[in-house]
Amino acid sequence: MIPVSHFLALGAVLFAIGVLGVVIRRNAIIVLMSIELMLNAANLTLLAFGRARHDAHFHALAFLVIAVAAAEAAVGLAIVVGIFRNRHAANLDELTLMKR
Amino acid sequence: MSNQIAFWCCAVLVVIGALLTITRRNTISAVMALVLTFFALAAVYTLLSAHFLAVVQVLVYAGAIMTLFVFVVMVLNREEQEPWALRGIVTKAVGLGALGYLMMRMAGFLFTRTAARLEAPPADWGGVHNVGELLFTDYLFPFEAISLTLLVAVIGAVVVARMPHPHAQQAANSAPEQEHAE
Amino acid sequence: MIDQFPLHWIPLFPLLGAAINLLIGRRLGRTLAALIGCGAVAAAMLLGWEATWQLGHAAPSATFTGALFRGTWIHASDGNYSLHLNAGLMLDRLSAVMVLVITSVGFLIHLYSIAYMEADAHFSRYFGYLNLFTGAMLILVLGDSLPVTFIGWEGVGLCSYLLIGFWFDKEQNASAGRKAFIVNRIGDFGFVLGMLLIFAATSTLQYSDLSSAPALAQLRRPLAIPGASYATFAALLLFIGATGKSAQLPLYVWLPDAMAGPTPVSALIHAATMVTAGVYMVARLHGVIEIDPFASGVIASVGAATALLAATIGVAQKPIKKILAYSTVSQLGFMFIGVGTRAYTAGMFHLVTHALFKAGLFLGAGSIMHALGGLEDVTQMGGLKRKLPITRWTFLIYCLAIAGIFPFSGFFSKDAILASAFGFDFPELAIWPHWLGHAIYAAGVTAALLTAFYMFRAYFLVFGGEFRGPPEVHAHAHESPTAMTIPLVVLAVGAAGAGLLGVPEIFHPEMNHFEEWLSPALFAPTLLHHSAALEWGLMGLATAVALVGISLAWWLYGRGPAPAVATLAARLRPLHRLVENRYYLDEVYDLLIVRPLRAVAYVFWKVIDALLIDLVLVRGLALVVDLFGRMIRYVQNGDAQRYVVGVVLGIAVFAGLGANWVAWRAAPFEVEMHGAEVTVRAHGAPVGAETRPLKYQFDFGDGTIVKLPERAVPIASHHYQGNGTRRITVTAYDPRWGTHSRESRLVEVRTR
Repeated sequence: MIPVSHFLALGAVLFAIGVLGVVIRRNAIIVLMSIELMLNAANLTLLAFGRARHDAHFHALAFLVIAVAAAEAAVGLAIVVGIFRNRHAANLDELTLMKR
Repeated sequence: MSNQIAFWCCAVLVVIGALLTITRRNTISAVMALVLTFFALAAVYTLLSAHFLAVVQVLVYAGAIMTLFVFVVMVLNREEQEPWALRGIVTKAVGLGALGYLMMRMAGFLFTRTAARLEAPPADWGGVHNVGELLFTDYLFPFEAISLTLLVAVIGAVVVARMPHPHAQQAANSAPEQEHAE
Repeated sequence: MIDQFPLHWIPLFPLLGAAINLLIGRRLGRTLAALIGCGAVAAAMLLGWEATWQLGHAAPSATFTGALFRGTWIHASDGNYSLHLNAGLMLDRLSAVMVLVITSVGFLIHLYSIAYMEADAHFSRYFGYLNLFTGAMLILVLGDSLPVTFIGWEGVGLCSYLLIGFWFDKEQNASAGRKAFIVNRIGDFGFVLGMLLIFAATSTLQYSDLSSAPALAQLRRPLAIPGASYATFAALLLFIGATGKSAQLPLYVWLPDAMAGPTPVSALIHAATMVTAGVYMVARLHGVIEIDPFASGVIASVGAATALLAATIGVAQKPIKKILAYSTVSQLGFMFIGVGTRAYTAGMFHLVTHALFKAGLFLGAGSIMHALGGLEDVTQMGGLKRKLPITRWTFLIYCLAIAGIFPFSGFFSKDAILASAFGFDFPELAIWPHWLGHAIYAAGVTAALLTAFYMFRAYFLVFGGEFRGPPEVHAHAHESPTAMTIPLVVLAVGAAGAGLLGVPEIFHPEMNHFEEWLSPALFAPTLLHHSAALEWGLMGLATAVALVGISLAWWLYGRGPAPAVATLAARLRPLHRLVENRYYLDEVYDLLIVRPLRAVAYVFWKVIDALLIDLVLVRGLALVVDLFGRMIRYVQNGDAQRYVVGVVLGIAVFAGLGANWVAWRAAPFEVEMHGAEVTVRAHGAPVGAETRPLKYQFDFGDGTIVKLPERAVPIASHHYQGNGTRRITVTAYDPRWGTHSRESRLVEVRTR
C-alpha cells in the first residue's frame, strides 16, 4: 500500500506550484489556472485523509469543492474578459485598482 | 507494488503538468498542460479508491472548466510579451522563501513519522452509490445550495462579461489616462 | 422657618424668559420678545412683593426656604471634611430688600429698554441677556449658601460681560467687556479662596450655620499671624471678591469702561444691582466679618478712599455716562463705609436709595442721549430744559437726592452712613487707630461735597445755558417716548420719597422702618447713638456741604461754563490733568500688570502653543502618521500577487512558530548543585501526569552526554570529577515537527 503521507506530499507540492504560479505569472488566465491547481491540491489532501480515515464524507466535501471551483472559474474568467474589454490589459500587476 | 509504480508515474505526471502550466508562455500550451495534470490527478484519485470523484474530476475539470479556459484564451487571443516581470521582485523573492520554508516544514512533518497502515476499504467505498447516498441525505442542503451558487455564478459571469455599454466604453477610454496621471 | 413659598419661581421666571428669548427670540418678533422679557421680570416682581408681604406678616426672624431643584447638589467627603449641599434658596428680610430692588428697578428698566432698544437689530438677544442677568442676580441674593450665591455671582459677571460687549462689532466695546470680565475674575478668585477658608474652618457654607455660635467660634481660631484669625483672612478674601464686583479700589477700573454697553444696562447692572452684590455679601456675612475689627476697618477705609478718589475723578469727566460711572463707584464706596463701620442697615439703606436715584440718573442720561442722537459730551450740551421737560425735572430730583438735600432719599441714607463713620471706634482696643473713624468721616464729607458739585455741574451743563453742540442735533432733540418717561417718573417718586422709610430717630422716634425691618436679619446690629446735638451738627454739616457744592456748580456752570472754569483749570493745570486722566491709574495698571501679563502670555503663545503644541505635538504627530502612511503605502499597492505573498508569509510565520514553540519552551533548565553532584531539570518536566512528547539530550560539558527517550521525565544527574568551569547544554527535540532548541549555561564545579 502507498502511505498516505505520499499523497499529502504530492498535494503540498501541487499547492506550492499553484502559489508559485499565482505569485510570479502576470497573465490573469494563468493565475486563474494556478488557483485551480491549488484547489486540486486541497482536494487531493481531503481525499487522502478520507482514505486514511475510511470516511466517505470527505468525498462529499471534495465534490462540493469541485462545484465551487467551477463557479469560481466561470466568474473569474468573466471578470478577466470584462477587464480586458475595459482596460485592454490582462496583466495582473497592471491592475492595481485595489489600492484606491 | 503495481500501485506504487502507478502512484509514482501519476505523481510525476501531475508535477510535470503543473510546472508546465505555470511556465508556458503560450496560454494554450498551459491549458493543455493543466488538462494533463487533471487527468493524472484523476488517476491518483482512483488510487485513493475515490472512483466517483475521479470521474467527476475528469468530467467537470478536464471537460467543462478547461473548455471554458480554452474559450476565453481564444477570445482574448493575446500572446504574452513578458511573462516574468521584475516588478516587486523583492516581495516575490520573500514569498518564495516563505514557500520554501513551508515545504521544508511539511516535508519534515510528513517523513519523520512512520506511515499509518492503510487497510483496504470496503467494496463500494468511494463509489457512485456510496457518495451519492451521502450527497442526497446528509449533504442535501449544501448540494442544493451549491446548485444555486452555480446558477448565480453563471448569471454573474454573463453580466460581467457581456459587451460593455456605450457609456461604459467612454469611461473605460478615459480610465487609463487617470492611471498615468497618478 | 415658616410654611413654604415657591421661592424657586422668583429666579426661574426670568431664567425661563432668557431661555425663550435667547433660543427662539429671533423668530418671535419684537413685540413678543419684549412681552416675554418684561413679563418674566414682572412675574418675578409680583412674586417677590408677595413673598415680602407674607414675610412681613410672619414673625420678625422668619425665613422662607426653598431650592432651585430637589435633592442633593453637591456631596463630597474625604474623611476630614464633608460637604453636603442643596441648591437651596432662602428669603429673609435682608434678601427680601434685595429682591424688591432687583425686580422692581429691573422691571422699570426692562420697560424703558423697549423704547430705548427699539431700533436695535438684536432686540431679543438684549432682552434674553437682561432676563438672564435678573435671574442670576436673584439666585445671588436668594442663595442660602456661599456656593449658590457664587453661581449667581458668576452668572451676573457673565451677563455683565455679555451686555457691556453687546455691540461687540466695535473693538472698543468688546475689549471693555473683556476688561470687566478679567478684573472680576481677580475678585472672584478672592471670593472662592474666602469661601474655601470658611469651609476649612467651619466645615459648612450654609449662611444659617455661619451665623451660629459654634461656627463663629471655629472662625475665631487664630491663623498665621498673631492677632489674626480665620475670620480675618476669610473676611479680607471675601472683600477682595467684593472689590471686584462692586468696583472698589483697586479693582474699580472696569466700571467706567463698562459704560460701553447700552445705557439701561448701565442703569440696571452697573448702578442699581450687580455692583451692589459686594455690599449685600458683606451684610450677609456680617457675623464673620464682625469678628475682627481690623477687617471692618479695612472695608471702611477702602470704601472711603474709593468714595473720595472716584468723586475727584468725576469732577473732570466730560461724557455724561462717565460722570455717572465715577459717581457710582463713589457711592458704592459710601455703602462700604456703611457696612465697614458696622452700620449695615445704613449701608443697605444707601444701597436701596442709590439703586433708585442712580438708575434714574442713568435712564435720564439715556433719555438725553436718545434725544441728542447719541451725543455724550456734556460740554457740547446745554439749554435742554425746554426740549426735555420730564427728563429735566426727574433728573433734578435725582441730583438733589444724590447730593443729599433734605428731604430727598440720599439725605437720610448718606447721613446715616456718615454718622456711623464718625462714631466708628473701638475704645477698648489698644492698637486701634482711634482717628480712623474721623478720617473716614472727613473723606466721606469731602466726597459728598464733590458729589454735589459734579452732579450739579452735569445738570447745569446739560440743562442750563445755551446749546453748545451742532445746531442740527439741537433741532432734532425731542422728549423721549412714554415707555421711557414712565420709569423716569416712577423712579423719581421713589428717589424723592424712599428716604422716608428710614427717618432717623431724632426726627421721629418710630419712623425708621427700614432699620426696624432689617434688624432681625442683621442680628445684633451695632446701633450707634450719638447725642442729639452731635447728630444735628453732623446733619447740618452734611447739608451745608451739599449746598456749598451745588452753589459752586451754579457759580461755575449755571449758565454754561463760566470763564472762571478755564482760568481755574489753567491755574491748577497739573492737578486738572491728573484728575481728568483718572490719576493715570489705568496707565499704571497697564504698565504694572497688563504688560507683564501680555509678555508672559506672548512667551506662552510662542513657546508652548506655537512651538510645543502646534509644531511638535500637532504637526509632529501628523508628520509621524504621514511618514508611517507613506511607508505602509508600499504594502498597500493594489498588486494582488504581492498580497498573496503576504498570505504565504503569514502562514510561514505561524507554521514556524507552531513547529518550534514547544521545543523553545521546553529547553530552558535549572541546575541544582551539591558539591560535585549536579542535577539538571529542564522546563519540559511533567505538567501534571503528562509529559511532553519530547526527546532530551543533556551534555554536561565533560564528555558525558545523557539521551532520554520520548516522553521521559527531563531530569538528569551527573557527578563531576575535579573542579573547573563546565558548560551544560540541554537540547530538546520535538519529533513531531523535526525541530529542536538548545540552551546552555556555564557552571562552576567546586568539590571539597
